[in-house]
Amino acid sequence: MPATTFDVFRYQPDSSDTPYRQEFALDHSDKVTLLDALLQIQDEQDGSIAMRYSCRSAICGSCSCKANGRTVLACMAQVEEIKEADGSDTIQVDPIGNFAPVKDLIVDLDPFWEKFRSVKPYLIPDGKAPEKERIVSKEAMNKVYNESKCILCAACYSECNSLAADPDFVGPAALAWGYRFAGDERDGQRKQRAKLYSGEHGLWDCTRCMYCNERCPKGVEPRDAIEKLGGVAFREGVSWGDAGARHARAFLVSVRTGGKLNETLLVPFTNPVTAPLDAPFALQMIRKGKAPSPLPHRIKKLNEVKHLMKNVKEEV
Amino acid sequence: MAKQFAYYPGCVAEFSSKELNATTQALAPMLDIELLPMPAATCCGAGDIAEAKPNLYLTLNVRILSQAEEMGVDVLTICNVCTLNLRRANKMVKEDPRLLEKVNEELVAAGARPYEGTKEVTHMLWYLAGEEGMSALEARGPRGLNGLRVAPYYGCQLLRPSSVMGFEDPDKPQSMERLITALGGEVADYEGKSKCCGFPILLAREETAFKESHVALAGARDARADVMVTPCPLCHLAMDAYQRKAEASNGEEYNMPVLHLPQLLGLALGLDNDIMDFGRHMVSPEQALATAGLV
Repeated sequence: MPATTFDVFRYQPDSSDTPYRQEFALDHSDKVTLLDALLQIQDEQDGSIAMRYSCRSAICGSCSCKANGRTVLACMAQVEEIKEADGSDTIQVDPIGNFAPVKDLIVDLDPFWEKFRSVKPYLIPDGKAPEKERIVSKEAMNKVYNESKCILCAACYSECNSLAADPDFVGPAALAWGYRFAGDERDGQRKQRAKLYSGEHGLWDCTRCMYCNERCPKGVEPRDAIEKLGGVAFREGVSWGDAGARHARAFLVSVRTGGKLNETLLVPFTNPVTAPLDAPFALQMIRKGKAPSPLPHRIKKLNEVKHLMKNVKEEV
Repeated sequence: MAKQFAYYPGCVAEFSSKELNATTQALAPMLDIELLPMPAATCCGAGDIAEAKPNLYLTLNVRILSQAEEMGVDVLTICNVCTLNLRRANKMVKEDPRLLEKVNEELVAAGARPYEGTKEVTHMLWYLAGEEGMSALEARGPRGLNGLRVAPYYGCQLLRPSSVMGFEDPDKPQSMERLITALGGEVADYEGKSKCCGFPILLAREETAFKESHVALAGARDARADVMVTPCPLCHLAMDAYQRKAEASNGEEYNMPVLHLPQLLGLALGLDNDIMDFGRHMVSPEQALATAGLV
């Protein structure tokens, strides 16, 4: 029978404001999940350990936590696999990151739900409801299949680097739900959604650290959804108002005119108003040779690229 | 015989961070690598084109892969972001023949060569930290780094998503540690080595980006690193070119010289300093390197 030490983050605000760690030694069966192990500890050793859980089947999304620093769904994570991956018989268990702890492994998810609600995570069709149901082809539903798998476990928020730097960032799961509906052919609010998700703390704030794709236990690939929302913004003509969108536009202009990125174009294109105020820094960059010629950097066979830019159709 | 690659330096190494390109080109023959130019390759889009026009991103990147296929060699990159964009496109079309067919129709209509899905994309770090690279390094008998204390900084897009990158455990990367140790350096370990440098949003969300770069810069500083080293020129811009601005924004002092990975190898192999051109760095590494007797 395997034995494991669980080094658990404890926070019991009723008795102390200071979090502490507590080790629990546990003998358990070969194929025990982290959730089952924690419940066994709760049952046999310390009934006061607080954690959220419900379905035990990776459906409800309640039991996300960190195992040795990596965010997991406790009910999906096998104890023996964690030990093998990390080469240790001790597993550190912590609440998910980027949220305030409430008690032990339970965090305050209110900001998560507020952000989720803020993206209008429901279908808003145009016009009157039809007499019968709205039929959608399999192909059309496949466009939003990944995003439909989200179980709102918040694992993608736990290590999001943008969220760590800006607590107001609306975040990966909410934006994935945004695309779930912006990409649904029955929805009539694509343009409004593109506007809603753009702007400060919105889709252009994603720093592409890829933690969300790495940690999502359901294959939602939230970063990919954010990318698709950018595509929706461009298709709906909502691509000038935000500096992030203008930054992306500078790449398109660069590639169309020369094939390579024109770095010197990026700053004034992204921040046309504030760029001149940054002249001292620009001078430093010029002095260090870090401001290349603003003329297009022409590749060979640019005609191929121009043809592609004109003819490739987008489907987001 | 030298190992041949289709060399895809990426835009930043070709223009604003020329010292990286020059160092890589000078280093390659020393390590038995032949870099074949790709004169018709575009920008990979850096995630920005993917964020504006996803199908265009895919088509442009497959066009680059097809050029390497025509040359009969795999692609070698020196930038995290190029690596992710090219590898992701490669994975998408290799796993979905119908998608490849669709992309090829676009390429052929534009007069470009269709892609058969036979090539791979490797970052120089991966090649060097692998068996072939390590034995080429060993054969060269590096003069060493004289115990220089180096903080490896991986950034994000060479590690994650692991389903696309897959070279090493994204949570416990060791490739740069292996190289630093093999070259006679000392590893300064710290938690922020695989966190984001903030560069993708630096121009659009400067303050947020600086809070991100703070995590790694402060981590390397607190680990008493002499220098930080990175395999990505975009991370280098965020960490070096914008470091003084980050200090002002965060109310911190880092004073952390940041080397491009090929510069670290160049130092260990005795490459000419004029080629590595440390004068182009915003935070000068000269003093740290002089103290270690490397310049």
